[in-house]
Amino acid sequence: MAMTLDRTRPLFIRLLLLVLIVLVPPVAWVTIDAMAEFSQGLIPEMDKKAETIGRDLEASIERAVNFGIPLDKLEGMGEFFSPVLAANPEIRYLAVTDRKGNVLFMQGIDKASIESFYTSADFGEVDHAHKSILGPFIDMAQPLVTKAGRVGQVHVGTDQDYVRERLMEIAIDLAVVTLVALLIAVEILLFVVTFNITGPMRVVGTVIDKVRRGDFGFMAGVTSDDEVGRFVHGFNGAIRYADTLFRRLEAYLDEVKSAHFDPGVVEQVRDIESRVKFLFRFARTGQPETVNEHQATDIRLPLFLFVFAEEISRSFMPLYIRDLYAPIPGLSPEMVIGLPIALFMLVIALASPSAAMLANRVGARRVFLIGLVPATIGFVMSALAMSVYDLILWRMATALGYAFITMACQGYIAQVSHQQKRAQGLGVYVGAVLTASVCGTGFGGVLAERVGYRTTFWVAAILTIVTAVLIYRLLDSAQPNAETAAPRKREFLRLLRNWRFSVLVAFAAIPSKIALTGFLFFLVPLTLSQNPNIDLGDMARIMMAYPISVVLMSPLVARFADHVGWKAGLVAVGGLIGGAALVLPFFWEPVVVIPVSIWLLGISQGLSASPQLAMIPDLCWTECRIMGQTNVLAFLRLAERVGSFAGPLLAACFIPAYGYNGAIIALGVVVAGLASVFALLSFAYHAGPHIETEWGE
Amino acid sequence: MRRLASLAVMLCALFLGPMTGGAWAAEPAAKPYRIYMALWRGWEDAAQGFKDYFANQGIPVELIIRDAGQDKEKLKEFVAEAKSLQVDLVFTWGTTVTEEMLGRYDDPDKQSHITKIPAVFAIVSQPLGGVVPSLVSSGRNITGTTYLVPMETQVNLIQSYRPLKRLGMVFNPLERNSQVAVEQLTSIGHSMGFDLVALPVDVAEGKPRPASIALKVAELKAARVDFIYIPPDTFLNINRDLLTQAALDHGIPTFAAAENPVVTSKAMFGGVYRYYTVGQLTAYKAEQILVHKMAPGDIPIDAPKRLSVLINMPVVRQLGLFPPMKLLGLAEVIDRAEGKEIKP
Repeated sequence: MAMTLDRTRPLFIRLLLLVLIVLVPPVAWVTIDAMAEFSQGLIPEMDKKAETIGRDLEASIERAVNFGIPLDKLEGMGEFFSPVLAANPEIRYLAVTDRKGNVLFMQGIDKASIESFYTSADFGEVDHAHKSILGPFIDMAQPLVTKAGRVGQVHVGTDQDYVRERLMEIAIDLAVVTLVALLIAVEILLFVVTFNITGPMRVVGTVIDKVRRGDFGFMAGVTSDDEVGRFVHGFNGAIRYADTLFRRLEAYLDEVKSAHFDPGVVEQVRDIESRVKFLFRFARTGQPETVNEHQATDIRLPLFLFVFAEEISRSFMPLYIRDLYAPIPGLSPEMVIGLPIALFMLVIALASPSAAMLANRVGARRVFLIGLVPATIGFVMSALAMSVYDLILWRMATALGYAFITMACQGYIAQVSHQQKRAQGLGVYVGAVLTASVCGTGFGGVLAERVGYRTTFWVAAILTIVTAVLIYRLLDSAQPNAETAAPRKREFLRLLRNWRFSVLVAFAAIPSKIALTGFLFFLVPLTLSQNPNIDLGDMARIMMAYPISVVLMSPLVARFADHVGWKAGLVAVGGLIGGAALVLPFFWEPVVVIPVSIWLLGISQGLSASPQLAMIPDLCWTECRIMGQTNVLAFLRLAERVGSFAGPLLAACFIPAYGYNGAIIALGVVVAGLASVFALLSFAYHAGPHIETEWGE
Repeated sequence: MRRLASLAVMLCALFLGPMTGGAWAAEPAAKPYRIYMALWRGWEDAAQGFKDYFANQGIPVELIIRDAGQDKEKLKEFVAEAKSLQVDLVFTWGTTVTEEMLGRYDDPDKQSHITKIPAVFAIVSQPLGGVVPSLVSSGRNITGTTYLVPMETQVNLIQSYRPLKRLGMVFNPLERNSQVAVEQLTSIGHSMGFDLVALPVDVAEGKPRPASIALKVAELKAARVDFIYIPPDTFLNINRDLLTQAALDHGIPTFAAAENPVVTSKAMFGGVYRYYTVGQLTAYKAEQILVHKMAPGDIPIDAPKRLSVLINMPVVRQLGLFPPMKLLGLAEVIDRAEGKEIKP
């Protein structure tokens, strides 16, 4: 259901292909070119660094030797070398050799692998740094000269692969940025095309449809000034001309009717008049009515940009919080780090119902604009946050904005798509959010690595401002009317008394959210940051796997679910896969297996999310009839946020006891446990009294 | 551009010059603070550091310098003189001077001690439980500095030179400092896994016998100690050449808790706060009292932040026991063969 194809999808794919063809070859070409330049520049830089380090070591060693310590009797060289190796990942070994090239000290690699080279090499009497290639290493030898003359060499060995690895990393970063640029370009193109061309065309189409049926009472409500606008203007002119002609005809007929003597002629004219009125319809007031057709895609780009802004901080949020850590009495440090994430979710959950109601009352456009105020303040102040205390506040402000904006978009889509199919509109929403999630997560990681966390928040703030301008300028202030009032709270309680619904919430919807926020949003960045080889960009790429796998899985699953109809089973299988994904680190090295876990989690979410929603009409069709299906679904969304809130806190509870990996596994056990309960109970879904009892209530 | 910058600097100098000059001239309290300095064994680095601090800070002081020449009797005269001169502050050097002139914290007799005039002390090995009840506050009109490196830090330093299984020590049983050191080292040895072999020097007629030092070192050699620890002990400080030479003869490395055995004798290395730095820190506390009018009781008693590792290179060479590179990088190396002290 979630990914049911919306009408713009073929257009989206065509545009994607177009952008791919136009954008990728030049970017690839420039990239390859730049990489060559870069690698040429990087090598001398690395040599310079190796030389500098070599000279520092040389100075210390020469000082010691000048104090009368024989070169081969230097003490504690291991502890002397280790910090240098630790601080410079590209340096693989450090060594000291005597005049003949015998290795006296070596740290980093086994000396057997390299000693034969030194003894055979002639370092001669060169008095400057000497570079040579030693298998996989670049060896920078620096002569050691003391009062007694030349005593030996100090060697700094850099890894030849290091350059290649760096370049690979940059290439991957560029690929991510290209992908993001691609998706953004497609979003913008899609917006431009639908907003300026296909949208107006559809309106014209609607009007032409009416004209074909003889109804000249409508004009297309398009005001743009471009070709499309002029075309529509001309078209409207034609309608207005037809209208004027009709008025003139009417006036002439009236004149004939009132002035002619021959009753036969009058009768004939009256006959003609009624025939014309039967065949054609004209506006009663003399002014054709304007047709404005709102469509779900109007809001797609603003929604995309805003979610993009929020997702930018996804991959590093826990790390940023950890940097700003300050103790909160009574809470463990892990708890404090989890708190802003949990509270973010809580605020969304608490604010969403009121936001939805407000969107119904004052219109989506206004609620969207209202929501952008706390969101922008939240981003700006998050960039300036001084400690975790105020960061919590700013994140809650952003959450408030997030709730307003997402509810505004959902409201807008619900309102405009009641003429069309609701599911298509929802497809637009989910599509925008997932694309933004892919882009935001990936782009945010690359950005944070290059310019730091704080600047990244500034970028988010700028994006929200752009969003505000878009909404303000483009979304027209005349809004479609709300359809129904939201049901009262008591009716929701009635929903919880339906055990099938409660089971779905407690054992399927909530655990999947626990896994998402507790594992992906909270534990993954913290766990991965423990590995020094993984930078922020890598982390973001690993996390991008989630939205990507959801994007890939959902449509397949949606089709499969419709085909098979075994929805509860899919939900159960999805939940179990999600739990199992988190238990994987128990068996394998976390760094290796976490990407797999994330993929699996995406698959699990893709498997269970759509069927969860699709089950609702079957599980509680009485309630759907009373409250409206939309409201039941909204309540499911609200209830599952309990899991979003609990996820990070639960994970934070596990960390002190089991460590980061242990916490992932423990979370997996919890999720798998809840999912198995659902699996067992889902067998009972078809058994026992069902509709009868519900009728009886 | 550069010309413009220099012009700006000149203009600033023109404006600021008279202003600061004016400020100095306008200060009526050009009357120097009078400080009575009571020393134990002459002018040395701590006293120099104390004096230099005031000069560097531009604080006018008049120093009244008295040296007891290690004669306890003279200290009574000093107390009377300081009182009659009505000085602004008293500076006392060493445990004896401090305890005699300022009194122990539980016995500050008004007649024989200085109680009304604020005082700062330096080079007191164990002020805690002696002249003050707590290092946070003296509870009376004095404050000061400590100069001994915490025992654990000293032991870690020895360990960082060479792993330690058995630590030797010769000490004067009549000095409280040394007894405290023995107790501390014994308990640290228990937790860090080394044995302490502590031998008191022979005492005859109430006085320690210097002649017994070499014998004790020979006994330590027989006990196969890895290191000899030289406590901050006055008797051993005086006889430091006897002790360090004996250790060197037996090929045992020595670690000193005070700078003299390393700098002016043949101890191999030491971890100390330099007397000069301690003197400067003491002067800083005097400034707090005199210039900033803080109550001495509110000023905590502490040691300088920066530890000095001293390595005596001729001794190292003679023993052939070379320091680890990391330690050498941090250390101030004393290499008198070259007639100079080389700082890192």
